[in-house]
Amino acid sequence: MIGLNHYLALSALLFCIGIFGVLTRRNAIGILMSIELLFNAVNINFVAFARFINPQEITGQIFTIFVITVAAAEAAVGLAIIILIYRQHKGVEVDRVNIMKW
Amino acid sequence: MNFSIILPETFLFLWAILIFVSDFFTKEEKKANLGYLSLLGILVSIFLLFSTGQGELFGKVYSSDALSQFFKMVFLLSSFLTISVSIDFSSKIQRHKGEFFALILVSTVGMMLLSSARELIFLYVSLELVTIPLYVLAAYLKPDPKSAEAGLKYMLLGAISSAILLYGISLIYGITGTTFLNEIKTRLIVDYLQIGPIGSGLFLSFIFFIAGFGFKLALVPFHMWAPDVYEGAPTPVTAFLSVGSKAAGLVAFLRVFFDSFLVYNFDWVTIMATLAALSMIIGNIVALLQTNIKRMLAYSSIAQVGYILVGMVAISERGVSSVAFYTLAYLFANIGAFVVAIAFELQTGSSEIKDYSGLSRTSPILSLMMMIFLLSLVGIPPLAGFVGKYFLFAAAVEKNLIWLVVIAVLTSVISLSYYVGVLKEMYFRKNEEQVKIRIPLGIRIALLICIIGVILIGLFPNPFLDFASQAALVFKY
Amino acid sequence: MSEYILTLLVFIPVAGALLLLLVNGSNAGLLKSLAFMVSLLNFILSLYLYFNFDSLNPGFQFEINRVWIQNFGISYHLGVDGISLFLVLLTTLLSAIAILSSWSAIKEKVKEYMVTMLLLEAGMIGVFVSLDLFLFYVFWEGMLIPMYFLIGIWGGPRKVYATIKFVLFTMLGSIFMLVAILVLYFMNYNYTGQYSFNFTEILQLPIPLNAQVWLFFAFALAFAIKVPMFPFHTWLPDAHVEAPTAGSVLLAGVLLKMGTYGFLRFCLPLFPNAFMDMIPLFSILAVIGIIYGALVSTMQKDIKSLVAFSSVSHLGFVMLGLFALNMQGIQGGVLQMINHGISTGALFLIVGMIYERRHTRMIEDYGGIARVVPIFSIFFMIVALSSIGLPGTNGFVGEFLILLGAFNSRIIYAVLGAIGIILAAVYMLWMLQRVLFQTIKNEENKKLLDLNLREIIILIPIILLIFWIGFYPQPLLSKMEPAVKNLLEYVEQKSDSITSSSGECDKICEKAEESSITKEK
Repeated sequence: MIGLNHYLALSALLFCIGIFGVLTRRNAIGILMSIELLFNAVNINFVAFARFINPQEITGQIFTIFVITVAAAEAAVGLAIIILIYRQHKGVEVDRVNIMKW
Repeated sequence: MNFSIILPETFLFLWAILIFVSDFFTKEEKKANLGYLSLLGILVSIFLLFSTGQGELFGKVYSSDALSQFFKMVFLLSSFLTISVSIDFSSKIQRHKGEFFALILVSTVGMMLLSSARELIFLYVSLELVTIPLYVLAAYLKPDPKSAEAGLKYMLLGAISSAILLYGISLIYGITGTTFLNEIKTRLIVDYLQIGPIGSGLFLSFIFFIAGFGFKLALVPFHMWAPDVYEGAPTPVTAFLSVGSKAAGLVAFLRVFFDSFLVYNFDWVTIMATLAALSMIIGNIVALLQTNIKRMLAYSSIAQVGYILVGMVAISERGVSSVAFYTLAYLFANIGAFVVAIAFELQTGSSEIKDYSGLSRTSPILSLMMMIFLLSLVGIPPLAGFVGKYFLFAAAVEKNLIWLVVIAVLTSVISLSYYVGVLKEMYFRKNEEQVKIRIPLGIRIALLICIIGVILIGLFPNPFLDFASQAALVFKY
Repeated sequence: MSEYILTLLVFIPVAGALLLLLVNGSNAGLLKSLAFMVSLLNFILSLYLYFNFDSLNPGFQFEINRVWIQNFGISYHLGVDGISLFLVLLTTLLSAIAILSSWSAIKEKVKEYMVTMLLLEAGMIGVFVSLDLFLFYVFWEGMLIPMYFLIGIWGGPRKVYATIKFVLFTMLGSIFMLVAILVLYFMNYNYTGQYSFNFTEILQLPIPLNAQVWLFFAFALAFAIKVPMFPFHTWLPDAHVEAPTAGSVLLAGVLLKMGTYGFLRFCLPLFPNAFMDMIPLFSILAVIGIIYGALVSTMQKDIKSLVAFSSVSHLGFVMLGLFALNMQGIQGGVLQMINHGISTGALFLIVGMIYERRHTRMIEDYGGIARVVPIFSIFFMIVALSSIGLPGTNGFVGEFLILLGAFNSRIIYAVLGAIGIILAAVYMLWMLQRVLFQTIKNEENKKLLDLNLREIIILIPIILLIFWIGFYPQPLLSKMEPAVKNLLEYVEQKSDSITSSSGECDKICEKAEESSITKEK
């Protein structure tokens, strides 16, 4: 029987992978994809909680839909900025994009 | 339901769309008029804000109370000042000047909604409404690689921090089964009474919340994005980021913290006091080393949030009212300093501190204003920043957080030396080649508002304090 | 009138400064005369205080007490008593003199200069008349800025270093006072249930002994840096040497007195037990200051830094008098504050005058100029002798009273202090000898011009004061006496009650802590 904890473990794993990707990726698109992983981990959490904790209400699912929508908007803006970067630097490696010291 | 209480936001949003649309039909050389049009919209929104009442909407999702009104005033003021400055700054923007104003308006709407949010879905969506336009705005100077870099960094870090915050939200939702702040509060009380000490899930979610808001507020150790973004972004946007978006993060933090989390018996004071102390120490010390005024102000704003947190750590009505009051004082001083930097940058194209040398000779009034803004940021009486800091420290002293106040006052002394560094360039150094800074109308308006704000709040803080104390009454302590 | 006179004194310079801002900056003559008129007006107004002062009333007079920031119990409370009266008079007099003295010395940015001077005057008067701790802090801290610019813009070659040092030192000191003021504020609330920064109310507060010590040190640090007491004196010579003449005059004449005034006004009555406990420490520091300052003065090659170090020595005397904690000591201390303001202010003026002519302050560049500039030399002699404390001059009365007071409390301090007077004679007279007498070595000195009318007018009132206080100090002393007596009685009574009821005090403290704990919950 697959229970809440399995979903939570999956989401935690996904979240960790996402964080790992964010920290190690040099390619801006890669980082953006890792961020999507983070959002998906959150989504799994919400849906699982909605299903197991409070099945009568659908707050979790609604939240998921909002997260997906907002993430899409964020990705659109993000990609636009990355295209801008690509035009300037002829590449999307974040190492190149470092005129200012961190 | 009384929909009139959400009128200021609704109006401003429609106004923003109007600006977006009219951008298509406006000739390139007349785009400045769109800026004035946006200013008009903000003024109407301010009027609506104070003429509509308080209340709740959508079943406690949205509540308009004294706190949200106070912060909405802060947001509208900062966006008014930003747009008023951008009208002249937009000569640097090549295309889509109208959208620039509209995006600021949309972000402001997000902030206003955020300050009223008492439910986590709503809070999250408004938070994104604040930041997504800001990503675009940060990258708005297309040919400037620094601006694009600022946009990229801000976007990536912003998205990561949102995801972290969301993970925290999902955990708290899992633990309490609700997303309403007041219900979370009751569940937490019940949980605490039944289970006792903190569980790992709740602990994690608190940590995620703090990290998420820490990123938004640029608290040390979540601050590393701020200086780059502040330096690279168009300067009016930087001003807006440093005040508007910070205040927005702050009000959301206040809501979540005081409306629900605080009931849980957790060592909040130590965590928050540590963050505050770190922010003040690191922000001020690193600011000492900066040579670029935007970067310097970025680090100083990290430290300023540390000071604001000192008031929050007190966890008292006095503390929250001083936080609100200081935010207002900080608004005028910080935006004012940025406005001077913008005026200087427009004329000379530089934002290096050393290029300010001898400015007092060519532009005495501008230098005097810069001096007043910077001294207010240090907290020199009788300016607004002094009164604000005094009350923040008073709140902390009341709760016997003397060590924190001692750190705060010591770091204030450090901050004095870098703010004074700018004054030193302007007043003590001679530079025969210094140019006279022309001050266009929009900048003139913004400077006037800021200077009046800084001096008025410093000398007659009573009405503002009353407003701030009312705002603080929203929470129970 | 008598209620608003102090408000007028504080805000006339501010209004004058605002007025000057409207004047065209290129019209230097108008700017100077306007600024001088404003400061003169202020001086004349302050004489009203002197003539209407009730000598028998030991309390505060000309009081005004209005609510300023209601939510925090901050009031606009001004008043003077016998102690602060003369400091206010000194401030208005020296401000007018300082503005007059910079007539020809300041050639650039005249407008900004005059505005700064007037704002500085307002701040200084504000410090001496504020009876609300918040208001006091506002003036105390706000005054830094005009002084910062005064040294930083119109100062000498190392001005940037000197200003930063000055500002950081003073700010570092006063910032702890801020914390202490806040602590007092909440103690007062826990004791009385009223939020108030009002000095007269906080004065009633019986502060437990251990808290007194900490609060005392927080206040004392701010004041000791300002005085400056050994070992916090290092900012002073830099600031003095780099400051323009008028800046030095006000710095030595008035700003340093704020430190000693703070000890007397705040540290003593607020924390009497801690004050008494610290008498040995501060007396020793004062004596070290006296002797150290005098010894270092002896070795100075620059006249201005000689005068600056002599300030350290003289202020040591003042502190010694205050910490003698008896009638003569404190009266002497207050009188010596005035005397030092007059004499050292005058010394800086004189150094400034000769610097304007020769553009050097090195002792070795002069010599034998008494024959070239006799009027100048006479003035210089008189002022220097009053600084030494020759009988018949003002310095003698003050130092005599202080030594008398110190003698009554502890002989050893008086003896060591007396060594300071001898050393003062050594360095002053030696300097006079090298500057005024001997033979003329330097050809340029032969062409020196003597004092002009404006300069003589500046110095005449000072000379008159020197002799007036020297021969007939009674009017001053009689006005001070009730206030000082009252203060001493009050301190004795309060310290006794706190010592005897220290158990009760602890109870109050515990109660306060309990109440704050319950409130937290």
